[in-house]
Amino acid sequence: MKKNPHFILPVNWRITKLLRTMKLLTFLLFFSLVSVSANVLSQTKISMGLENVTLRQAFDELEKQTGFKFFYLDEQIDGLQLVSLSLNNQTVEEAIFQMFGQDDVKYKIFDNQLIVLSKFENPSEKQGIRISGTITDAVSGEPLIGVNIIFEGTSLGVITDANGKYNIEIPSSSGVLIFSYIGYNTERIDISGQTTVDLQLAPDITSLDEVVVIGYGTVRKSDLTGSISVIKPGDYKEQPVSRIDQILQGRISGVNVTNSSGAPGGNLSIRIRGANSINGNNDPLIVVDGFVGGDLKTINPSDIESMQVLKDASSTAIYGSRGANGVILITTKSGVKGKQHLSFTTRFSTSKVLSTYDLMDAGTFATVNNERTTAMGTSNVYTDAQIAEFKANGGSDWQNEVLRTGTGMEYQLDYSGGNEEVKYFISGNYLNQQGIIINSDYKRYSLRTNLDAKINTKLSANLKVNFARLENNNTNGNGNTSAPLAGAVNWAPTTPVRDASGKLTPRDPTSSIKDNPVELALNDHIIEANSFTANGGFNYDIIKGLNFNIGYGISYGNSQIKDFNANLLSNNPDANRGSIESIFLQNTNTLNYSRLINDIHQITLTGVFEQQLLQTDKFNARAGGLTYPAFGYDNITLAASLSGSAFKEKQSIRSFIGRVNYSLKDRYLLTASIRSDGSSKFRGDNKYSNFPSIGLGWRISEESFMDNVTFLDNLKLRGSWGKTGSQAIPVYGTVTTFYTGSYEAAMSFLNGTTTPGIIVGNPGNDNLKWETTEQFNLGLDIGIIKNMFTLEVDYFSKKTTDLLLNEPLPGYSGGGSIYRNLGQVNNSGFEFSLTARVINTKNLNWNSNLNASFLTNEVKSLGAREQIFIDPDYGAGLTSVPEMILRPGYGLANFWGVNYLGVWHTGEETEAARYGQVPGDSHFEDINNDGVINFDDYMIIGSAIPATLLGWNNNITYKNFTLNIFFQAMTGFDKWNFTYGAAILGSADARQITHSDILNRWSPTNENSNIPHFSSTDYPVIQSSRFLENGSFLRLKNLSLAYNLPRNLINGLNGSVMIGATNLWTLTKYSGTDPEAYSTQGNGDAAQGGDAGAYPNSRTWTFGINLVF
Amino acid sequence: MKNIALIIFITFFVISCADFLEEDLSTQVTSESGALSDVVGLTSALAGAYHPLTATWGSGLGNASTQAILMGGDDLTTHKASNKADFREFDQFKIATANGRLPFVWNGAYKSIQGSNNIIANYQNAKGDEAAIRQIAGEAYFLRAYNYFWIVRLWGEAPLLLQTQTFTEDVLSVSKSPIVDIYAQIIADMTFAEDLLGNIKPAPGRVCKGTAKAMLAEIYLTMAGWPLNQTSNYALAASKAKELIDNEATYGLGLMDDFAQLWPSATQNFDGNKEEVFALNFWGGDWYNGNAAYGLAARPGEENGWDDYFSEITFFNQFPEGYRKDVTFQTQLSDGTPWQEFMTQRPYYKKLQGPKQDWQNAVSMPLERMAEVYLTYAEAQIMATGNTSDASALEAVNKIVRRAAGLPINTPDISVDWTSATQDEIVQEKAWEFAGEYCRWFDLVRLQKVEEVLATKDPNDLQPLGTVTYFLPLPASETLANPNLAD
Repeated sequence: MKKNPHFILPVNWRITKLLRTMKLLTFLLFFSLVSVSANVLSQTKISMGLENVTLRQAFDELEKQTGFKFFYLDEQIDGLQLVSLSLNNQTVEEAIFQMFGQDDVKYKIFDNQLIVLSKFENPSEKQGIRISGTITDAVSGEPLIGVNIIFEGTSLGVITDANGKYNIEIPSSSGVLIFSYIGYNTERIDISGQTTVDLQLAPDITSLDEVVVIGYGTVRKSDLTGSISVIKPGDYKEQPVSRIDQILQGRISGVNVTNSSGAPGGNLSIRIRGANSINGNNDPLIVVDGFVGGDLKTINPSDIESMQVLKDASSTAIYGSRGANGVILITTKSGVKGKQHLSFTTRFSTSKVLSTYDLMDAGTFATVNNERTTAMGTSNVYTDAQIAEFKANGGSDWQNEVLRTGTGMEYQLDYSGGNEEVKYFISGNYLNQQGIIINSDYKRYSLRTNLDAKINTKLSANLKVNFARLENNNTNGNGNTSAPLAGAVNWAPTTPVRDASGKLTPRDPTSSIKDNPVELALNDHIIEANSFTANGGFNYDIIKGLNFNIGYGISYGNSQIKDFNANLLSNNPDANRGSIESIFLQNTNTLNYSRLINDIHQITLTGVFEQQLLQTDKFNARAGGLTYPAFGYDNITLAASLSGSAFKEKQSIRSFIGRVNYSLKDRYLLTASIRSDGSSKFRGDNKYSNFPSIGLGWRISEESFMDNVTFLDNLKLRGSWGKTGSQAIPVYGTVTTFYTGSYEAAMSFLNGTTTPGIIVGNPGNDNLKWETTEQFNLGLDIGIIKNMFTLEVDYFSKKTTDLLLNEPLPGYSGGGSIYRNLGQVNNSGFEFSLTARVINTKNLNWNSNLNASFLTNEVKSLGAREQIFIDPDYGAGLTSVPEMILRPGYGLANFWGVNYLGVWHTGEETEAARYGQVPGDSHFEDINNDGVINFDDYMIIGSAIPATLLGWNNNITYKNFTLNIFFQAMTGFDKWNFTYGAAILGSADARQITHSDILNRWSPTNENSNIPHFSSTDYPVIQSSRFLENGSFLRLKNLSLAYNLPRNLINGLNGSVMIGATNLWTLTKYSGTDPEAYSTQGNGDAAQGGDAGAYPNSRTWTFGINLVF
Repeated sequence: MKNIALIIFITFFVISCADFLEEDLSTQVTSESGALSDVVGLTSALAGAYHPLTATWGSGLGNASTQAILMGGDDLTTHKASNKADFREFDQFKIATANGRLPFVWNGAYKSIQGSNNIIANYQNAKGDEAAIRQIAGEAYFLRAYNYFWIVRLWGEAPLLLQTQTFTEDVLSVSKSPIVDIYAQIIADMTFAEDLLGNIKPAPGRVCKGTAKAMLAEIYLTMAGWPLNQTSNYALAASKAKELIDNEATYGLGLMDDFAQLWPSATQNFDGNKEEVFALNFWGGDWYNGNAAYGLAARPGEENGWDDYFSEITFFNQFPEGYRKDVTFQTQLSDGTPWQEFMTQRPYYKKLQGPKQDWQNAVSMPLERMAEVYLTYAEAQIMATGNTSDASALEAVNKIVRRAAGLPINTPDISVDWTSATQDEIVQEKAWEFAGEYCRWFDLVRLQKVEEVLATKDPNDLQPLGTVTYFLPLPASETLANPNLAD
C-alpha cells in the first residue's frame, strides 16, 4: 500500500479545520472523545529518559504519561532524526523544546488536552523548489482529477485538482516524482531542474496493482487466487445507465442478467454460474460497502465507485451460508481530497415496443371466424353486412390501445470533496420512467451521503447514508394470462374499446373470456418502497499492520402496497392495502493483520465476528365489492367484504470468520478461509455450519525462467476449492405451525361471510440444515504485449448437495410440502474474457472486451423421487397440468408437454382416423401408442436455461468522440409462447383466432403448413411443443455516441453530451415480442421461460448531458 | 484506546444476547401454544376443517372438477373440441393420473380429515361449554366420515388415516385399506357424530344430528350395493331416513314446496333453505373462496361461460318434460338461439348457473338435499320390504314427483302419483331430480348400471375410449410420493 500524500497547510487553518472536523464527527457519530485529564499543561510534570527513539515513539511515551493527545501530520515527523529525551519532573513544553528546539515547532493546546503541533509554519522559507503541471489522460486527453504525486523517498505529495493541475513544493531540485492514479500506469519522472512537468497517463488495462475489494478486506489484483470480476464506471460511463443491471448485463463472464420484465424498475434475474437451488433463492448476495444483503434497486448507479463479482468458492466462502449464489460487492464513491467537485447529469429517453403480434384486422378476423364456425358446423358470428362494415371502418387495435411511447427523465447531481481529515460525497438522483404499456411507470428518488473522517493517525471513521424511494405502478410481477398484453391479443378486433358514452366495454362477446385489456392496464398495482440504510464504523490502527475495524449497519425498509381492480366483468371492484416494514441490523468486527516478512513473505490475517438480525412486520387489508370504486385503495371500509392479516417474523445469523492471504515472492499465492455461520432458522446441531475454502495461485510470469518471454506480461494460474451454503428456507421451516390466513383457513358458515380458522400448515422438519455448494475452479490469466491483450479463462464445477427441496407431500397426508435436504444439482462451465486495446493511437483508440460463458446445468438426484412437478401456472386457465418438471439427468427448468409433429397430412388418413382425426388436424406424438393423446403422452420437450452467454463491448474513441457498441447474446434455450398460443388456437382464453398466421393454415392445397385447419376433430393443446420456440437471441444492447465538450468551455465548466440507443436491433427466431422477457408466476428457477403476456423490453433512445463544475 | 474498548464492549455484550439465534415463535399458532384447548380454538379448528372443501382453486368441491370426476354418469359431459381435455378424460374413461382435475376432491377430503383428526384428538381435554364442544366434536366426526365416504366411493381402497394431525414420516409408506374397513370406520364415525351433534344446525353451512342421519341412510344404501353388496343395510338405510323424515320440526330439515326455490335466481336467494341437509357455503368475497362449480362453469361460451359441463343429449331427451325440466335446463340463448345451435350443441344446467354471470359466487352448494333422503327412504324401504307398493315409500317418491310437476307437494294427484315403484324407477327419478348434482354416477356404480347407461349414449356424444372402470386412479402425486399405493 502506498502512503497517502498529505497537504502542508498553515497551522491556523489546520487547527480550525481539525476542530470543525471533530465537531462534525461528534455530531454525526454520536461519539464523544472522552476527556482524559483536566490538568493544565504546566501542572503536568513528566519524568522520563529516552535514547535515540523516533519522534513517534517519543510522542507515544508522552501520551502515555500525560494523558495528552498529540496531533501531528505524519510527514512532519517522518524522516526526521532520532531524538533523545531526558526529563525530570518537567513540563510538556520543555519536552517539546527538547525534541525540536525552540524555533522549529509551533504548538497549540485545546481543552487542556490536545496538543497540536506544526513544524513548518512557513514552508517557503525552507530550501526547495516548486513544480507544477497538468496531468491528462493519454487516451482521451481529459484532465485527470485526483492523481497522486509523490516525491520519491519522502511522503511529500499532492493531488491534481479538477483541471488536472498540481503544484508541489519539494525540498530538492533533483529527484523523482511518482505519478499514480488508479486504473492508470504509474509514471516516474526525474525532475532534474524542471519546474513544469506535464504528463499523459496511459490507462492500465490490466491494472495488476489495482486494489480489489474482497469480502472483509482488499487485495492487490495480482494477488488474487479466486475468480473475481471488477467493473468500474469507466467501463460504462458512455452508456445511458440508470439501473445496476444495465451495468452487469453482458459484461462479465459467468454472469447471466436477464430482464425477465421489460417494465421500468421491473423484475430481473441475476445468476452467477448457473442456478444451484431448486426452491431456494438463486439471487447473488449483494454487499454494499460491507453491508450484507443490500438491494440493487435501491442503489443509484451513479454512486458506484466499483463493483466486484465474486464467482468461485475461494472468493465467496467468506460469505459462508449466503455465498452459494455468488456475491456482488459494491463500493460507493467517496470524496477525494482536493478541490470540490460538482457534477450534474440529465437524461431524457423515449421507448417503444420492439415488435407487436401480427393480428388480423377486424374485417379479416370476422371473415376468418365465419369460415371457422362454418367448418365447425355451427352458425356464423358475423353477417356479410357486418363484415363489409368492418372492412370499411376497421375495428379495434388492442395492442395499440395498451401500448404507448414511453418517456423517461433522470436528474443526477453529485457533490464531493474533502481534505486531510474529512472527505464527503453527496449525491441526489431522480428517475422518472414511463413504461411502454399505459399506466405503468416507475419513479426513483435517492439521496446518498458518504463521509470519511480521519480522527487521528490511528483512528478513522466513516458513515454512509442512503435513502431511496421507489414508486412502482404496474411494473412489478411480469404478466400472466390476465396481463394487458395477453388481453390485447385475445380480444376481438371487432369489439369496441369503449361504448358510445366512453365507458370501457366490460366483456368481449366474441373472443376473450377475460377483462378488457385497457381496464386491466388502468388498474393500479402500486408498491411504494422506502429504504433507509446507514452504515459505517471505525477503523483503528492498533500497531503497524494490525488494524481493527468495527462496522455497524442499519437498514429500514417500508413498503406500501396499493392495489385496485375495477373488475368490470364481475362488477365487483376490489382494493388491497398493505404494508411491509423491515428492520435489518448488522454488526461486523474485523481484525486485520498484514506484514511483509523478510521481503518475500507477505501475509495477511483476517478475523471477523459478525451478527445480523432481520425483523419483518406485515399487514394487509383487502376489500371486495367496493361501494365507491372511485375511492380505490384509499378508502376501503365501504365494501361488501373485508379481510385483513398481520404477520411478523424475525431471523438472525451469527458468524465467525477467519482468513489467511499469503504470498511468497509475489508469485506463489495462497488464500484460505473458514466461516462458521449460525442461523435462527435451524435447530440443534444444525444451527451452525462451517464453510472452508482454499485458493492457490502461481504467477508464472514472475519466475526467472520466464524472463526471456518478453511478450508475456502476465501469466497466472489459479485454482480454488471451497464450500458455500444457502439457508434459503423461510422462517419456521423447522416447526409445524397452523395457518391462520383467510386464504388458507377461513370458512364460510353463512354465504357471503367468513369465520376465521386455523389449519395445520406445512409440517416442520427439525432436521433441516444448510444447503451446501462445493465449487472447484481452475483459472488462467494471460496478458501479452504490454497487456494489449489480456485473457482470463476459468473452468468451474459446482456441486450443490443437501438441496433445500420443498418436497410436495401427498394429499392423503394432509398435503402441502415439507422442506428437506434432498438431492443434488450440478453446474459446470467455461468462461472466457478477452480484453484488447485493438487500436491505441493519440487520437483513435479502440478497446474491446469479449466474454463468453458456457454452462451445463443438471439435476443429479431428487432423493427418492423420480420426478417432481413444478406448476408455475403461466398458462393459468390455458393449462391444467404442471408446465414444468424436475427429473434427474435434466436441467433445472424443463418444459412438460406433448410433442407436436405438425398436422396430419394427406395420405395419412388411416393413421389419423385411429385418433378420430383427419388430415389437417394436429398430430401429436402418442408415446404409449394407445390411440389416445392424453396426459400420459406428456414428456420433457425443452429447457429454459441458456447454455451460452456472450457479451461484446467496444469503446471507440476518436478525439472528443466516444462510440460504444455493445452486443449481447444468449443461446441454447427454449421459451413457451403462450401469448401466441392463445391467439392462434382460439379455444382457450381467446375463443376465436386473432393471429394472422391462421391465414396460412393447412389445406389440401397448402400441404406444407403446420397450422391445423378448422375442424371439429382437431385437438388443440397449448401445452405442446408447437408453442415452444427457440429463445436464442443476439442483441445490440447499446449503441451510443458521446462527445466531450471542449475543456473549460465556460469558466471552469467541463462536460459531455451523449445520445444512445438500447435494444436497437435483435436477431432471434422467437416469434414473440421479446425473447428475453418471460412471465414470472412461480418461484424458483425451476419455473421460468413461459411467456404469457410478459412485459417486453423496449427500444429506448436516450439523450444526455453531463456538466462538471 | 478506551473509546475503542468501549465500542468493543458494546458490540460483544450488548448485542450478543444468549438467545440471539433462537427462533421467535411468539406470533405463531403451534400445537404447543394450546391452540385447541378451548371452545374458541376448537371453533377455529372446525372452520379450518371445513375450509379445504371450499378452497375454490386449491382443493375440495368448489369448482367444476367435482362435475368432471363424475362425468362417467350420463347426466354430464363436456366440450368436444376445446381446452377441456381434462374433463373429457373422465367422460371417456381414459383418465391420466396427472389429470389436473383429479386431485381436488381427494386433497380436499384428506385435508379436511386432517383437521377433523386434530379436533378429535383434542376436544376431550378442551375447556368450555360442553354442548358447544359436543357439537364441534360431532362435526369433526361427521366430516371425517363424510370425506371418507367420497373417497371410498370414488377411489375404493385408500389410505385410512385417523392420526394425520401430526405428520410423521411413516405416513409416506402406508398401504391402502380395504373398502370394508373404510366403510366400518365411516359408520362408526357417523354414528358417533349422530350422537354428539345438536338437533339444529348452528349455521347454514354446518351440520346437525339430522344431517348425520341423512348421511347414515345414504351410506347404508350405498353399502347395500356394489362393491360390498350388504343388502341387509337397506333396512338400516330406510330406518335412518325415516327418523329424519318423521322429525322435520326437530331437525329443521324438510322439503321445499317449489323446485325452483332450491336455486338462487337473479332476484331471489333461497340459500339456507330447509331442504339443505348439508350445503357448503361460500364467502365469494375473494377468488379463493367462491363457489366456482356454479356460475360461468355451467354457462355456454356464447354467454361468456366456460363450457365446462352440460347435459348429454340422451339424458336431456329422456328427461320428462315439465316444470322441473324447465327449471333444470337452459335450452336457448337470450336471442332465442336453441341449444341445438349452441357451439357445443347441448343444453346447459340452468339451476347451477348461479344468480349472475360470475364464477366467484357466494351461493350454497347443496351436497345433500332432503329430496335425496326421501328417495333414499323409498328405495331402501322397497328393497328392505320387497314391497313395490309400500305406501310410505310411494308417498316419499310422490312428494318429489308432484313438486317436479309444479303441483302441491303434499296433495295426492292422480295425474302424476306413482302407484308402485321399483328400485330402477326410483333411481331413475333420482337421476332427473339430481341431474348434475353429485348423485347419478354413484347410483350407477352401486347398482352396476354404468355400461347399461353408456349403451344409450347418443352417437354424437363423447364415447368411452378406455375400459370402463368404477373407480378413479389415484392422483399421480400420491403414488409418486408413496409407491406402496400403486396397484
